[in-house]
Amino acid sequence: MPKIEMPSGALVLLILRVLRSGPLHGYAIAQRIHVLSSEVLRVEEGSLYPALQKILLKGWVNADWGISETNRKVRFYRLTPEGVEQLEAELSGYDRVNEAIQSVLRTA
Amino acid sequence: MKQFFRRLQYLLNRRRLERELASDMEFHREMSQANGTFGNTLLLREEAREAWGWTWIDRLGQDLHYAARKLRQSPAFTVTAILMLALGIGVNVAAFGYFNLMVLRPLPVRDPVTLLHFQRRAPTNGADNFPYSEVAFFSQNARTLSAVLAVSFSRLKMDAEDKPLSATFVTPNYFTDLGASAAVGRLLNPDYDPTPSVVLSYGFWQSHFGSDAGVVGRLIHLNDKPATVIGVASREFSGLGSGTPDLWAAIQQQPYFIPGADMGGLQMWGRLRRDATPAIAEAELSSLAARLRQTDPQDVWEKETLPSEPGGFALTLRREMYPVLAIVGALGLLILGAACATLGSLMLARGVSREREIAIRISIGAGRARLMRQLFTESLVLASLGSVAGLVLGYLVQRSLMVWTDAPLWYNPLPDWRVTTFAMSLGFAAALFFGLAPSWQIARQRHRATKVRQVLISVQVAASCVLLIVAGLLSRALTHAANTPLGFEYEHVIALDPALEGYSPQQAAFYFDQLKSRLSRIPGVESTSMASNPPLGNRWSIGKTPVAGRIIDVHFNNVDSQFFETMRIPLLRGRSLKRGDTTQVVVSDSLARLQWPSEDPVGKEFSKGTVVGVSGNARLVSPEDSDAVEVYRLAQGDLLPQMVFLIRTSGPSETVLPAIKSVAKSIDPKLFPQAQLLKTAFSRKVAQAGYATMVAGVLGVLAMLLACLGIIGIVAWAVSQRTKEIGIRMALGAKPAHILGIVMRQFSVPVIGGLLLGIGGAAALSQILRQQLYGVSNLDPLAYAAAVGLFVLAAGVAALLPARRALRVDPMLALRYE
Repeated sequence: MPKIEMPSGALVLLILRVLRSGPLHGYAIAQRIHVLSSEVLRVEEGSLYPALQKILLKGWVNADWGISETNRKVRFYRLTPEGVEQLEAELSGYDRVNEAIQSVLRTA
Repeated sequence: MKQFFRRLQYLLNRRRLERELASDMEFHREMSQANGTFGNTLLLREEAREAWGWTWIDRLGQDLHYAARKLRQSPAFTVTAILMLALGIGVNVAAFGYFNLMVLRPLPVRDPVTLLHFQRRAPTNGADNFPYSEVAFFSQNARTLSAVLAVSFSRLKMDAEDKPLSATFVTPNYFTDLGASAAVGRLLNPDYDPTPSVVLSYGFWQSHFGSDAGVVGRLIHLNDKPATVIGVASREFSGLGSGTPDLWAAIQQQPYFIPGADMGGLQMWGRLRRDATPAIAEAELSSLAARLRQTDPQDVWEKETLPSEPGGFALTLRREMYPVLAIVGALGLLILGAACATLGSLMLARGVSREREIAIRISIGAGRARLMRQLFTESLVLASLGSVAGLVLGYLVQRSLMVWTDAPLWYNPLPDWRVTTFAMSLGFAAALFFGLAPSWQIARQRHRATKVRQVLISVQVAASCVLLIVAGLLSRALTHAANTPLGFEYEHVIALDPALEGYSPQQAAFYFDQLKSRLSRIPGVESTSMASNPPLGNRWSIGKTPVAGRIIDVHFNNVDSQFFETMRIPLLRGRSLKRGDTTQVVVSDSLARLQWPSEDPVGKEFSKGTVVGVSGNARLVSPEDSDAVEVYRLAQGDLLPQMVFLIRTSGPSETVLPAIKSVAKSIDPKLFPQAQLLKTAFSRKVAQAGYATMVAGVLGVLAMLLACLGIIGIVAWAVSQRTKEIGIRMALGAKPAHILGIVMRQFSVPVIGGLLLGIGGAAALSQILRQQLYGVSNLDPLAYAAAVGLFVLAAGVAALLPARRALRVDPMLALRYE
């Protein structure tokens, strides 16, 4: 399957979205996106962790220690209230843009 | 803002957070191992960390670490580079440090920023000095000033001492208002206390009383009048103005110590109230002066205004000082420029030897920008070390100059923030100059960048050439001064300054009459005269006067009728001044030629007077200024107490000197007549010029050595680059001269270009020097030729030393080379 490159803005949106249902560790975030996109989107380590660092810096998520399913000490990323706000804002923005694009694609 | 704090927090917990990130990524890799995705873990981690924006710190740390290691590896280069920079920066730091202390740094007194120094101006008059009545009136009535301080400088005789000491009479509020503290005893009270009392300066206390704390309460005699020592001012106390006197006393006691003194001649400072501005204070004082004039028309001028300048500094920058500042600054920067250019070529040459290292680093993935940043960091490290060494050198130079010139005790040459910033900025600018181009060249692996090298050579040559030419001009001026007639004869003249303090004009006239008749009885005295500005002395009155449509500096002098005869200045036309001449003037030939090129000047009007005679040109006061023109008026009236007596002797003046001194003293034992041979004064003047010449010469030779070092380096490099070519040429039978020509030819253009640039620069710069050259033209061909010749010679030798290696190239070895 051809690899699909994701714009970094979209990656942040996806990370925030998958974290809404609860805290996850880095690998789980990547897996979740992969699975939910029906294995179309693959998040590489090289883009996931820089994006996570950026989100940490912005204060949209916190990182806390937890135990993974393989019984290893690992950091879980949790959405902060600011993160929820940011997600809402990005989602509505994304919806508007998406609709606009769709309508252009349909009618042009 | 929050984001900034998170960023900061990250920086503080960096190690832990980086470990956590690493562990996250490790876990990720463990989990996804099945998928087989492997990457450069370090690189990935670094990319992730970059989001926090702190990676530059790591890189800087790496670069600094690496630079330090590289510099340690080649100590010879490092030491040379630091010494060069220290020299270039140190010269500038010493000059700037002095400027800072004098002009930029406020004096160590309370709240120096609010102090204003006042002057008096009227449409036709101007002075620094105030009469006491005016100062007292301002002090009582000025609302914009919280205090008025005034000082007057005098000389007094203490006990049986031979040499007079310097005393400053001050308003009693002087010490309290300036926030001074006493080392021992107390200082003057702001409420005037009529008991005669004096405060000693720290230096005087050390030198004359051996720092004895028991001096407080001791009775001393000043001009034979008893006075009590009440205390010693602290070592740091500077007072106002630039010098520190031996002692202070209240201004009200001036007539007590100096009978007849009128408490006049006061320098006046005011302390501005918080809500006032200098302009408001000036306006208030001007209107107060007008009010005082109604009751006291003698002391206040008509339409008097009182301009002010910041008063809390040792020196106020005046327009006349700009040329000197410009020349000192230019010479300093030239040295730094020469040092940087030499260092730049050394860096380039070093770049060649590091070719392999750089190539390896590029091939394992170092980016050019990264590489360049790293190389530039090396330059910055060198520059910082150089700045520090320069600061130390500058401090040492100032320290030794202080000892040598007997500077006041409060003068502290330890670098303050201004000097430190100055040195660091110079270092940074130098790094840009000597480091940026080479690092760019090296990082781009363009070693054959001859352009940069040639520009660097030109700069070195030009800078050292300018310095050498200036030194050449100064030394030419020096020999010229010693061999050229000044327009008057000084070998057999004694200048006697009786210092008639507190004398009225009548008393002074009587004194001089007595002196004249008593001196004429001494065998060996040929003729006597007097002048307000004695030849080769430290007094002058220069008036900006329109001459032939141009405003030029005219030297005014008040003399008596025998002056021209005594000084052996020829009268070319008309007559000398004589008793009763009030508005008549004698002008110098140079002035007459400027003003009336084709007419007879006698009878013409000049400077509110009628020309009665034309004298030969005599550069009396400033022999170094060939542009000087003179105007003489008759000495009379108020000027008499300031006159200096001139005595021509028939034999050697030295033998008559003691007799003259004792005569001058016998007329009034209270006086301290100062007598000196004009010969001595002249050699002192020449010695000053000699000192300047020496400094310029040392700087010039240093710059030349720097340039030679640079040339040696670059020729050696050129030879090593062309070994193969030279080998082939030799194998084909080229003659040694031909080979040398090939090696040297490529440097002839930049050297000649640099020489031309240097000559042009020197011609422009020396324009400012013109008035210091004792009549030598600032385009003096001999000075230029000598400097250029010396430089070419030195550069030739410097180039030949490494070039000889080209001749020793073995064709067979050269061809097999590489």
